Amino acid sequence: MTLAGSSTEAIEKTAPRTANPGGARRRRRRFFEFKSDIPASWSLTLGILVWVLFFGFWEFAVWQNWANDILLPGPGKVLSALHTLFTEKAFLYDVGVSVTRILLSFALACLVAVPLGILMGSFRTVEAFFNPLVSAWRYLPAPAFIPLLLMWLGAGDAQKLALLFLGVVWFLTTLIMDHTKSVPADFVRTAVTLGGNRLQVLRTVVVPAALPGILVAMRQMLAVSWTYLVIAEIIAADVGIGAMMMRAKRFLHVDQIMAGIVVIGALGLLFDFLLKKFHGIAFAYLEENVR
Amino acid sequence: MASHVKLSVNGVGKSFGHGAHRVEALRDVSFNVVQNEICVLLGPSGCGKSTLLNIVAGLQDPTAGSVVLDGKEIDGPARERGMVFQSYTSFPWLTVEQNVEYGMKLNGVPKAERQERASHFIDLVHLAKFRKTYPKNLSGGMKQRVAIARTLANRPEILLMDEPFGALDAETRWHMQEMLVEIMKSSQTTIMLVTHDIPEAIFLADKIVFLSSHPGRLKAILDLEFKKGKDIRDKEELITLDGYPECERHILAMMRAEARPQDVT
Ligand SMILES: Nc1ncnc2c1ncn2[C@@H]1O[C@H](COP(=O)(O)OP(=O)(O)O)[C@@H](O)[C@H]1O
Ligand SMILES: [Mg+2]
Repeated sequence: MTLAGSSTEAIEKTAPRTANPGGARRRRRRFFEFKSDIPASWSLTLGILVWVLFFGFWEFAVWQNWANDILLPGPGKVLSALHTLFTEKAFLYDVGVSVTRILLSFALACLVAVPLGILMGSFRTVEAFFNPLVSAWRYLPAPAFIPLLLMWLGAGDAQKLALLFLGVVWFLTTLIMDHTKSVPADFVRTAVTLGGNRLQVLRTVVVPAALPGILVAMRQMLAVSWTYLVIAEIIAADVGIGAMMMRAKRFLHVDQIMAGIVVIGALGLLFDFLLKKFHGIAFAYLEENVR
Repeated sequence: MASHVKLSVNGVGKSFGHGAHRVEALRDVSFNVVQNEICVLLGPSGCGKSTLLNIVAGLQDPTAGSVVLDGKEIDGPARERGMVFQSYTSFPWLTVEQNVEYGMKLNGVPKAERQERASHFIDLVHLAKFRKTYPKNLSGGMKQRVAIARTLANRPEILLMDEPFGALDAETRWHMQEMLVEIMKSSQTTIMLVTHDIPEAIFLADKIVFLSSHPGRLKAILDLEFKKGKDIRDKEELITLDGYPECERHILAMMRAEARPQDVT
């Protein structure tokens, strides 16, 4: 007891003067701290550092000649390939075609998944009817249908849209169903004891309550959409980002292939960012201090 | 004032499940709720209070008996029996004002009247300054006040409340209880409220319906004679009243008798 007492006293007497003169005593910030926030300057520095290291390692590998110059071009070469693609090879058209495929197929998937998921999440009967089908399809990898789709729809856009649709729609339906199910039961019970009928409750409670979750589900599945796009375009396509990359492969233009990867990554990030921003604006009421 | 029976619960019984899994939650419960009174359902946890209130709301069907409101047997949920829950149910995508107008909108109340009634009840629950605020920025007690105003503005015949202050801290609870008494004085409403908090029951109730557990049966109806004719506005007035300690002791004894050894552990 006495020991503990005197040691705290000692700390209180000496620490403020030596460690932090004039201010309150503060514990030193540790670099590894469970679940605690870090200053914005730290996250910025660390975020830049990882890319610096990445490009540094890449340049180092090229400089050390770890691989043949053709197989492993440096970052600078990839950048100039990107420039050439856009200025001389009409790459913007390929990008436009790919983005259109994504948006069109995703819109189709949403057209089916949003109403279906909401109804399945709202009514057990609808769930009991559709869920066996939806679950079964969900576990079938969409690329398994490529041979069939090629035979039925040819190598054109219809086949690609179908693949992207099949790759996304079942998971999207399930996610939307789950978000709808997690709408608090007391919200619905409140509305019916206020006199709401089924359609009113669906329209004015279930849908608005599930909407933020539905948008999150869309964001997640849009990212998956890109995977199927690349598969579709690599297998059979004349235009599109994937098609350009396969063309480049034939002529050993590794820099162009890498440029394609960069563009896909950048577009994915951009879409994700836009949807995230939209979420913040559309559902501003979920943030504190919004009036 | 003539004591007009507003609601009557007639021999209500409720069982869940079948065969070996059958749970009898309520057995032959009968009592009346008089117009403009606060009827409090009290009893140990799990005795079937929520089940009974849900049956009155029309959210669950009784397996025996019936509930009659204003001479009509109830069938399913309806505007006449508005309910406030323990969980926060103010819709986060609507402002306080829009929340309070919500029920009236469902029922096609014209806009001008809707706004007028909403603003009256928002004042009544002391949220005038928060008209345009979203629930995310409200405290738990404020969210419950939104829910109460929303239900009252919808002009139910009876207001049903299932442990409405159960999730609030002790201090906020008192304020809410005193506010509810204040509201009752200014607007004529019949209330059926569920709680397992004994002082809350005594403070709010004109009549306490005490249920025993497993299955829930009517054990006693307490009329709280010692409160009659007194204008009690806060808790201090209540607990200094002659008859209060006696009443609380009586209810505590009933509670204790109901708490069987297997429930305690
Ligand atoms: N949906 C249900 N299915 C099966 N048993 C239930 C259901 N709802 C309530 N019960 C049972 O009925 C009894 C009364 O529950 P409840 O009305 O919630 O009690 P209280 O509100 O008084 O705490 C409890 O034993 C509970 O387990
Ligand atoms: Mg309960």
